Amino acid sequence: MLSDVSLTVNSGEVLALVGRSGSGKTTLLRLINRLLEPDAGQIIIQGRPARDWDPIALRRATGYVIQDAGLFPHMTVAANVAVVPRLLAWPEDRVCARVDELLTMIGLAPQTYRDRWPDQLSGGERQRVGLARALAADPQLLLMDEPFGALDPITKSELHAEFKRLQAALRRTVILVTHDMAEAFTIADRVAVLCDGEICACDTPAAVRASTDPRVSALVASR
Amino acid sequence: MTALIEFIASHRAEFVARLGEHVVLVLASTMIAAAIGIPLGILAARRPMIAKPIVGVANLAQTIPSLALFGFLIPLPLVGGIGTRTALVALTVYAVLPVLRATITGIQGVQASVIECAVAMGLTSRQVLRQVEWPLALPSILSGLRVAVVIGVGTATIASAIGAGGLGDYIFRGLAMVDSTVILAGAVPAALLALAFDGTLALAGRIADPRRRSTGAAIALALMLGAAAGGAVWASSGDGRRDVIVGSKNFTEQIVLGEIVAQVLERAGLSVERRFNLGGTAIAHQALVGGGIDTYVEYSGTSLTAIFNLPASADSSAVYQQIRDRYAALGITAMPRLGYDNTFAILVRAEDASRLGLKTIGDLNKFAGATAGFGYEFLERPDGFKGLSAAYGLQLAGQPRTMDLNLIYRAVAAREIDVTAGDATSGQIASNNLVVLADDRHYFPAYEAVPLVRADVLLKHPAIGEALRRLEGAISADDMRRMNFAVDGEKQDPGQVVRAFLDRIKRL
Repeated sequence: MLSDVSLTVNSGEVLALVGRSGSGKTTLLRLINRLLEPDAGQIIIQGRPARDWDPIALRRATGYVIQDAGLFPHMTVAANVAVVPRLLAWPEDRVCARVDELLTMIGLAPQTYRDRWPDQLSGGERQRVGLARALAADPQLLLMDEPFGALDPITKSELHAEFKRLQAALRRTVILVTHDMAEAFTIADRVAVLCDGEICACDTPAAVRASTDPRVSALVASR
Repeated sequence: MTALIEFIASHRAEFVARLGEHVVLVLASTMIAAAIGIPLGILAARRPMIAKPIVGVANLAQTIPSLALFGFLIPLPLVGGIGTRTALVALTVYAVLPVLRATITGIQGVQASVIECAVAMGLTSRQVLRQVEWPLALPSILSGLRVAVVIGVGTATIASAIGAGGLGDYIFRGLAMVDSTVILAGAVPAALLALAFDGTLALAGRIADPRRRSTGAAIALALMLGAAAGGAVWASSGDGRRDVIVGSKNFTEQIVLGEIVAQVLERAGLSVERRFNLGGTAIAHQALVGGGIDTYVEYSGTSLTAIFNLPASADSSAVYQQIRDRYAALGITAMPRLGYDNTFAILVRAEDASRLGLKTIGDLNKFAGATAGFGYEFLERPDGFKGLSAAYGLQLAGQPRTMDLNLIYRAVAAREIDVTAGDATSGQIASNNLVVLADDRHYFPAYEAVPLVRADVLLKHPAIGEALRRLEGAISADDMRRMNFAVDGEKQDPGQVVRAFLDRIKRL
């Protein structure tokens, strides 16, 4: 599916992985937290090959957000956000403080939202909780797979602004999969374009927009 | 309704014991089924490769009719035999499928994106199961348990046929006695029990749902389960093992005979447990040999042909000698004969007999287009229908129909069939206005009533032997017919009928 992919993501930058459906974006993302294992080649995370990491420890140190958030329907908002801190056996008062801090940070008042159930939230609110859950244990690396894909345009641009504000403060390393070129150009520091399992461009938004590669310009024009 | 309440009130101690047995059967089999079905379901949900064969086997087991399943199990070592253990195995077999299916459905119904997030957040596969899949599948699993329990309450009534007790005792006894009050004494509490179990599990479902969880509901559920388990164990344990367990087969005369033996032993100062309504000769014999019961009354001709596979004979003393030796080899003592001969009687409606001039079995060939219907055993046994038609050269219209032994008399009266083979002492002969055709060729062998007792029990309680010897020749065919009619025709309680009889003969 993927071949000859070589990609470096700098600490603290937002890299968008774009491409058509089936181009291998999600596969590449899942190789990073070892949901999939490569047949050949290697992935190095914080200077250490991924296969040397304990997969469970690696995943707990990596935030993960997907389309429609994948919240646990049998847990309240607070319990969803607290999953990883509790797995890491944080003391309970620290967990509670962290949940309130994160909910405040993503713009959901803790008193109102803490005890709500996922199906009582709007799509945008669910996505915000998904982001808070991914950030709970303060991971350096955040993997996002179409996190804003299921939202209406207004909510989407609100969340883009929110994300940029948060990222300016937190400076995490973010790898974001999207098929929406506009989204990539809006929030990413660099954009990598995947064409049939290879990387055909990887540069700043301005440089990618100006690319003369027909595969890239077709994708840019499609927005 | 009043009759039902009166019946239950007058049989309070026995009713509580039967109810307790029923609850124990259902609860225990459902718990075993859950212990098997839930882990198997989780395994199957994760490995679709093995899900198919597992569900296939469970499906197949579900299609076996319950009586047939009991029949399969009785001869097997370990799980077989007679009584509670076999019943538990069979009930568990039926309960596994709904639990298994519900578990698979529940686990597979968890959204893929939720599982993906759980794994990506660093939950181990065990944590995914415990924290995500299990709570989300629990409502489905509980609904499977509800199905299993309701099926179990119904199926457990059949367990009575193999001596496991339960409310089915009343249903079978009522069928045997053609007494709807007794049937309802089993059926109505069974239905209420099914509703109660269903309600309890619905409450459990509420507790399993984190959105509606409440401490009050949890306490109520714990109390209900505790009360059911405790009450059931208390009720079914009774006051420990009795001195002697008296069995009987599942028709009126057998129940009367069982009651006679039981009361005679009680008058001799022994404590007696009754396990009546065993589902046939083979089951009663198995129970006696295996120690599930200590005594029951068998008919000499039945022992000879159906148990020992020997040719039938009309020489009653020779038959008695033969079976006494055979039983002795099995560790069973044949006591002296009770006095009457309950041979088969070929029966027709009295009006047909007078219209066509039917007197003997051979006269049946004058009855053009007559259809016959028999109990299952009579059609199968070597001394049954096959031998009879050969001996008399009978030419009946079409194949005989098989029907329940308790229904044949009414079936003739209702003109569903024209000829049947009943017990010569049945009270239903007179009550249904039927007549007996003479066996002038002496085809039917002797069927004298013989109490059988396990030799080890006789040694342990010599009083049993003394009491039963005093019954020798004590019961005439007329006595028996009258008692049968009192129970079948007049709906009297077998216990009271027997008490009156024993008071009258004053031998004891």
